[in-house]
Amino acid sequence: MQNTLEKRLVGELAFVCLLLALAAGIAVEAWGIAGFSGISSPGAFPLGISAILLLAGGRILFDTLRRPDSGAGNWLAAARQFCAQHFPRRILVFTVLAVAYLASIQWASFYISTFVFLLLSILYLRSGRPLAALLTSALLVGLIYLLFTLAFSVYLP
Amino acid sequence: MSETISYLLMAWSDPNLLLLTALGTFAGIYIGAIPGLSVTMAVSILVSFTFSWEVNSALALIVGIYIGGVYGGSRSAILLNIPGAPSSVATAFDGYPLAKLGEAGRAIGLSTVMSVIGGLAGTLVLASAAPVIGDMALKFAPRDYFLIAALGLLLVGSLAEGSLAKGVFAAALGTVIGLVGMDPVTAQGRFTLGQVELMGGIHYVVVMIGLFGVAEAFYQLHSLDVPAVRQQVTKIIPSVAMVLKFLPLSLRTAVIGVLVGALPGVGGDIAALMAYDHAKRTVKKPSRPFGQGAYEGLVAPETANSAAVGGAYVPMLTLGIPGDAVTAVIIGALVIHGLNPGPMLMVESPHIFWFTVGNLALANIFLLVFGLMGIKLFAKLVELPKAMLIPLILVLCVVGTYSINSSMTEVYWMLGFGLFGYFLKVFGFQMGPVILGVILGPMMDNSWRQAMASVGDNPVELLGELLSNPVSLILTVGITLILLGKTPVSGWLKKKCKCTPVTH
Amino acid sequence: MLKKLLVGLTLAASAAGFSLAAHAAYPERSIQAVIPWGAGGATDNVMRSLTPYVEKELGGKVILNNRPGGTAVIGTSYVLGQQPNGYTLLLGAENPQLYPVLGLAKFDYSALYPINLIGQNVAVIAVHADSPWNSMADLMAAAKANPGSLRMGGAGAGALPSTVHAMISAVDQLDVREVTFGGDGPGITALMGQHIDFMPLSLAAAKELIRTGKLKALAVVSTEEIPELPGVEPISKTLPAIADYLPWGPFWGVWVHKDTPDDVKQKLTAAYAKAVATPEFQAFLKNYGAKSLNLSGDEASQFLNRWQSVTTWSMYKAKAIDIAPDSVGIAKP
Repeated sequence: MQNTLEKRLVGELAFVCLLLALAAGIAVEAWGIAGFSGISSPGAFPLGISAILLLAGGRILFDTLRRPDSGAGNWLAAARQFCAQHFPRRILVFTVLAVAYLASIQWASFYISTFVFLLLSILYLRSGRPLAALLTSALLVGLIYLLFTLAFSVYLP
Repeated sequence: MSETISYLLMAWSDPNLLLLTALGTFAGIYIGAIPGLSVTMAVSILVSFTFSWEVNSALALIVGIYIGGVYGGSRSAILLNIPGAPSSVATAFDGYPLAKLGEAGRAIGLSTVMSVIGGLAGTLVLASAAPVIGDMALKFAPRDYFLIAALGLLLVGSLAEGSLAKGVFAAALGTVIGLVGMDPVTAQGRFTLGQVELMGGIHYVVVMIGLFGVAEAFYQLHSLDVPAVRQQVTKIIPSVAMVLKFLPLSLRTAVIGVLVGALPGVGGDIAALMAYDHAKRTVKKPSRPFGQGAYEGLVAPETANSAAVGGAYVPMLTLGIPGDAVTAVIIGALVIHGLNPGPMLMVESPHIFWFTVGNLALANIFLLVFGLMGIKLFAKLVELPKAMLIPLILVLCVVGTYSINSSMTEVYWMLGFGLFGYFLKVFGFQMGPVILGVILGPMMDNSWRQAMASVGDNPVELLGELLSNPVSLILTVGITLILLGKTPVSGWLKKKCKCTPVTH
Repeated sequence: MLKKLLVGLTLAASAAGFSLAAHAAYPERSIQAVIPWGAGGATDNVMRSLTPYVEKELGGKVILNNRPGGTAVIGTSYVLGQQPNGYTLLLGAENPQLYPVLGLAKFDYSALYPINLIGQNVAVIAVHADSPWNSMADLMAAAKANPGSLRMGGAGAGALPSTVHAMISAVDQLDVREVTFGGDGPGITALMGQHIDFMPLSLAAAKELIRTGKLKALAVVSTEEIPELPGVEPISKTLPAIADYLPWGPFWGVWVHKDTPDDVKQKLTAAYAKAVATPEFQAFLKNYGAKSLNLSGDEASQFLNRWQSVTTWSMYKAKAIDIAPDSVGIAKP
């Protein structure tokens, strides 16, 4: 899939750098477990894994740098282009809806927030047709209730 | 002998048991297909529920759910790219691409037939060689489990499309995720960032649901307006020729499934991944390239994970040791019913063994019937408008994650993994290696430390054991060969071979 | 504004719910019972077989909820964080009594109210069938002849094997390599495969294998022979000084939040006492190799305190823990 001559994707370099930073953070945490105290200590295996992470991350960075620039211009333009490509408004709105849904589960109950979430997201994604959205969400919530609460008495928040 | 046969046919002849097995299998398929309803959970609920029943009735229902559930996980893996159960992770690799090509119906049909073949093969091995395999499973020392985990991690090489470095990185990251939580030896927190909620670790199903389900849901938002691929629902049941074509692969992976399933603590998830790897190594001309909808990539894991069920019963029925999480709960059920699961179970209550064997075979027959029923309806599910399907997938992911440990924190993690997975997807990382790391990493860490503690932290002694013990030696040689196959040495060998004419 | 209104409504609703709950007969809805261990384990088995009898006594539904992880820290902290209304129970084992000295958590069972201590198990020292040793004395002699080379199966800090090992080390010398497994089950598998030399196990886990000769019991961790294992010597025969710490064994019990209303506590205590006493459950416990306790109230608290004191001080003496028990308020036995 990935040809070495292929152009770098917008934001790829930044992402790879972030991954390397993550690997470095993991290495620091791994060191903090037990240091180099023994070959079967709790920190031994994590340290080995962090070394692999850093090596593989370095290799990925090397591969990425070798490829021609994405040609997005300065970083602001690149960020804008990245958002347009991978985070169009639809995905942003859905992400916000999903986070709000999770947050609301704890203080409203599970079923109410699920119903509202389904209703809003179907309304938004299909841009309209409120009656169909209402019916679908009610049907889906009913099905979940039947399956999880009645049939299997799964505890839901 | 006549007694054995009467036990064997008990479930086939009693209408009550027949009905319960059918009911269990049917319910199991749907429990398995819905991420978040797991077989382990369903069986443990049934243990309380069937408390006052006769033990045979309870077992019939449980066997049905087990067989149905392991198979059912493949449905959501094929249709939605969400493995319904960990043992279906490998099924998604080629099953979902098939659904994208409009062949969801055929993929489900093929996976059903192959599951039944695997399940029957597993049952046959259980019936004919249980004590031998049970004793063999005991021969595996901690160092051998370490080697098995290493062998599994070598799969990264075949899963990582394109960049090996990206695959290795993803697998190592998965391993770290798997290690989060309290260290089982010293009870010290690792990678917990001081959070109490993280002391219990991040369940691998949480990672799986996030990376596969949620990431895919986000990805699908791009193609919201593209009409769904029309699913062909005409040739669902695979032809005899097709089944015969895949039969050799299917039988080989069934053997992998039974053997891996019989090892205590290693279950269908690892068996399926190893079978997938086996298919990728041995099948030279797949129907399509692996990862893009190869039938072989579907046949191998589906046979193996069903065969692993028979395997998991081996140590349970012969020694009273669970082969996986589900058989652990079944042992509990037997205890609650006043039986003594252990080495004498086969002598003192022989009917349990033969009844289970007969029942497993019966459940597989029902699986063939129920599995092939209603495929058209299921395949059409993918044709639902994405605007409805995507929110529903997210809700199912939430319910599925919450029901594992009733933890809201894990639901947040799941969403986090979903977003992270979306980024990984965008930049050409594969999800498979991450899951591989999450499943195998902790096993590797544990068995490494067990192996080192057994030799008093002396690597030379460990090396000696690796080379002197037959089981360890076979595994070591296998790993060395695979590793050599990935290095320039093999390229050099191949070149040499090309120079000398070889007759094909 | 809208948020304020909503908060107000929620508060009013919950207040109404509360006052109703106080008047209506408990339980008026299903009770959530948290098992801080995974499905299929010993605690899970005991609780799943007890719960149907409890439901009958209470006249309500008890939904079992496994919240495993972190030597039961996760499930136990969850119960501590819930409303003290008697609708969240903890069905746990002995581990929280060791949290303060292991540094796992700040609390122990004194943060909860004991409804019932159901039963207690006894530990046995087991070896594989082909082992050259036939008594505890043989094992001690072998360990002294080759210090630091015998392999003992363990199950992590605070679990039964390390506690028994600590008790033995507190009165004698037993220098071994501890190989840690994920619990009794994997440890037994390794023991049968002869990958480790011995392992202290709970009788519930080892009973069937000892009876069928797959494992050999060298000693029971008690001061006298037990009827389930005739002919197996008590550990005090070889190590008389260990008697100070006995009887000892892992146990199972039911707890609720400390601030639960008294009438609810009483109702639960009565229901559990009756359920544990049913002949069917007693038969289950016996078959499982466990001893029935059925303790509640002050008796239960005394039992918990003694257990904690005996266990932690022996561990401290054997240098298995660094935190002095009296520094976290645990008196000497």
